[in-house]
Amino acid sequence: MTRFAPVLVLAALATPGMPVLAEEVSRRIEVDPAGQVEISNVAGSVVVTGWNRPEVQVTGELGDGVEKLEFTRQGELTRIRVVLPKVSHRGGSSDLEIRIPARSSLTIGAVSADIKVAGVEGVQRLQTVSGELVTSVGKEDVECKTVSGDLTVNGRGERGLLTLNTVSGDATVTRVAGEINANTVSGELRIEAVQAQRSRLRSTSGDLSLRAALAPGARIDAESISGNVELLLQGETDAEFDVSSFNGDIDNCFGPKASRTDEYAPGRELRFRQGDGSSRVRIKTLNGDIRLCRP
Amino acid sequence: MTTGSDGSGHRNQSDADARLAAALARLPRAVEPPHDLWPRIAAAIEPATESRSKVSPGRPWLWQLAAALVLVVTSSAITAALLQREPARAPVADAAPRDPVGVRRAAFPADYAPGPEYHAARQQMLDALARRLDQLPPETRVVIAGNLAEIRRGADKIAAALAEQPGDPLLEELLLNAYQDELAMLANVDQLTRGTGARSAADSKVTL
Repeated sequence: MTRFAPVLVLAALATPGMPVLAEEVSRRIEVDPAGQVEISNVAGSVVVTGWNRPEVQVTGELGDGVEKLEFTRQGELTRIRVVLPKVSHRGGSSDLEIRIPARSSLTIGAVSADIKVAGVEGVQRLQTVSGELVTSVGKEDVECKTVSGDLTVNGRGERGLLTLNTVSGDATVTRVAGEINANTVSGELRIEAVQAQRSRLRSTSGDLSLRAALAPGARIDAESISGNVELLLQGETDAEFDVSSFNGDIDNCFGPKASRTDEYAPGRELRFRQGDGSSRVRIKTLNGDIRLCRP
Repeated sequence: MTTGSDGSGHRNQSDADARLAAALARLPRAVEPPHDLWPRIAAAIEPATESRSKVSPGRPWLWQLAAALVLVVTSSAITAALLQREPARAPVADAAPRDPVGVRRAAFPADYAPGPEYHAARQQMLDALARRLDQLPPETRVVIAGNLAEIRRGADKIAAALAEQPGDPLLEELLLNAYQDELAMLANVDQLTRGTGARSAADSKVTL
């Protein structure tokens, strides 16, 4: 068998469409400085960094069993795709380092690949099933989705729209501002916002934590079935609060205590106004405890 | 009341009692209201009674649910149409609902049971997801199935509480959102596994 091995390797390399052994890649093309970049990689890692050149550069290593790397540009759209053969029992784990113009819009799809993005100012739409996802955000909209992968989002205090969805993955968010929509089933959401304008947080059993200063006229809505909800409000708080839980405890540092909704039922609710009441805070749980306090 | 030592106090007491008894005897046995108040009372009660009898406590909520489902199904259909390049599937029959990812349906109180449209949409999503799940690593399949079950358990808890306290607005809202969360999660996972990266995985039958 061993004497046939070189022949088999040569045959594999010579046959179009056949998977190849691990391969280093280094390619670069000129692109629109504010165009769109789409990246697809099943397994391994994708690291994307924004730079000031009107070019996209891909370096890294394609894993065993990868058919090819598609790297194409059509108008404003640049596509980078790790292509696996139709039938493959190998992972095709590929590690890519990609530089794109900082103002590009970015879309990344992965299965188990980790995603890391830094220095990209355009819209981001990032998703990985089980990989870890780390990104930085500015003014533009950012959407991150995972099933079991954990999310980390670091902001610069600029207002934008951040949308997070996980199934069991945890999400950690720091220094964001503007609108935050986050949803998880059993993951834990920990969000620190410089200033929250609108936030809608939902979980089934995962705990939710939001530490934020409320912008004037802010709207905060948090809901969980059995997860605990913690809201830590920084600075002056001018808000009306509507807090209720069917079975959970309500702890409020701002003064008023929760009361029973019914003499014979377990529900508890807390409604009060703090300051001029320009913002609205609404928290609902079935069994989860609620804590409303200052940091 | 004071009582004199010569017994005059007792006489005064007796006289007073007699006058009080006589006055009481002159009072009418029943007092009729100046006019019949009942028609106004009945009129005030009637509309509320009628509205309660015509609309069950859960019904406005069901309209919201129906609207939410239409929205979810419509957006999912648009997403599927944009992303899916496979041949269209035959409509899913709801006669014998299948649960390909092993997630049972919760037992909801009658007033809060979602309609057949919900079950059809859910079934369609589960079927689509089941095909995608086959392409995913076993541990991811376990995570998805486990979390769908988590949502179901949550909905079960709400449903059980609603059975005890029908009409509770907090519970109704939570249950509606649990339905929406389940469908949203199915749509999200389907999209995640259907996306560019997952397409490579799915099409390639990758074992990761």
